[in-house]
Amino acid sequence: MEIAVLLIVGGIATGVFGALLGLGGGVLLVPLLTLGFNLPVREAVGVSLVCVIVTSAASAAIFLDRGAANLRLGMVLELFTAVGALIGGLIAFLLDERLLAGLFAILLVYTAATMLRPRRGAAATDSTLPPPEPRPPTSPARGRILDGMSGPDYRVRAPVSGAVGGVGGGIVSALLGIGGGLVMVPVMHLLMGVPLRVATATSNFMIAITASTSAIVYLLRGGIDPYATAPAALGVFLGATIGSRIAHRVDVRVLRFLFAAVLAYTAYLMVRRAVGMP
Amino acid sequence: MIENGPPPRGALEARVGRLLRIGTYAAVALIGIGVVLMLASGRSPLDVAPPLDPARLLADVASLQPAGFVWLGVLVVLATPAARVLVALLGFVRAGEREMAAVAVIILAVIALGVALSTISPDTRG
Repeated sequence: MEIAVLLIVGGIATGVFGALLGLGGGVLLVPLLTLGFNLPVREAVGVSLVCVIVTSAASAAIFLDRGAANLRLGMVLELFTAVGALIGGLIAFLLDERLLAGLFAILLVYTAATMLRPRRGAAATDSTLPPPEPRPPTSPARGRILDGMSGPDYRVRAPVSGAVGGVGGGIVSALLGIGGGLVMVPVMHLLMGVPLRVATATSNFMIAITASTSAIVYLLRGGIDPYATAPAALGVFLGATIGSRIAHRVDVRVLRFLFAAVLAYTAYLMVRRAVGMP
Repeated sequence: MIENGPPPRGALEARVGRLLRIGTYAAVALIGIGVVLMLASGRSPLDVAPPLDPARLLADVASLQPAGFVWLGVLVVLATPAARVLVALLGFVRAGEREMAAVAVIILAVIALGVALSTISPDTRG
């Protein structure tokens, strides 16, 4: 009973910090399950995938209601993230646990570095985007898809880059149990010319399909443990709900530095696990 | 009177959002009941759990087995995204957006391919 309560509390903490810092739960939950509860990395990834679907589906509904997420852009890109997630889900069962731990350590270092980078406001970042270029001649069907993916004040460009990035984001999501926003937000914003606010909301919307495609592979191959999943999913959902409600009252600048330090230390522990040190 | 025109842009987003909300809350409710039953029966998250057996699922739920509720909740979690693609597909067909309808069909095909490939060599545990 104590372990279940600890897992719920850990899930709540993961959900709160994830919501405050704009991270998906997976980056925090997989190390918690692996290092804190001694679950195998692959099993922790399976649990994490279920948790990120729960939290992203709930917030995606809000983003759609507010008109922040672009449904058509999200669906075209999740076609590619789903392909990547399927490939990643199948590969994950061929890889050694220690390699997965090593890959996760790299992800943690990347996330910590991202958190330490100076952040500009969304509006300022959006203003750095070049103005939309005139659309080059293209086939009518492709043109209609690009028009449908674009918003009232931006036009989507570089669809091939988006497709390639989508496959990569899906593979990373499936291997490491994360939503894929760490890949898809930069792809949409920097390569495809989508405003940061829309890219963030649309990435959140896409997570459910990306994660569920690989989670189904994990489920059918015995990679999801219901007893470990239930308290973690409940905790993360409660934590994300609390975090989204208090986010506007919390100064996350100091929290960001503290959390980068925690992620760096967690990366060190994952590296130790990857090389087989106790 | 029957409406013949395509739904206004934004109506589809509202329908998809409603489905996501219902699916998520239903799944969390089922998983929450499962957790309460787990705590009541003294089961640990680290105990070996029974594998998913669709044939026994409803019987497990009826007999208040924690694994039954949790498995049902997990299935609702995993089915909700595919259901929202289906809802979007119907909306695109109704609106005459053939390209987007094709995108939705291909997403569902990829998910179905995942199920098929995983079923060929299921359960690699142990």
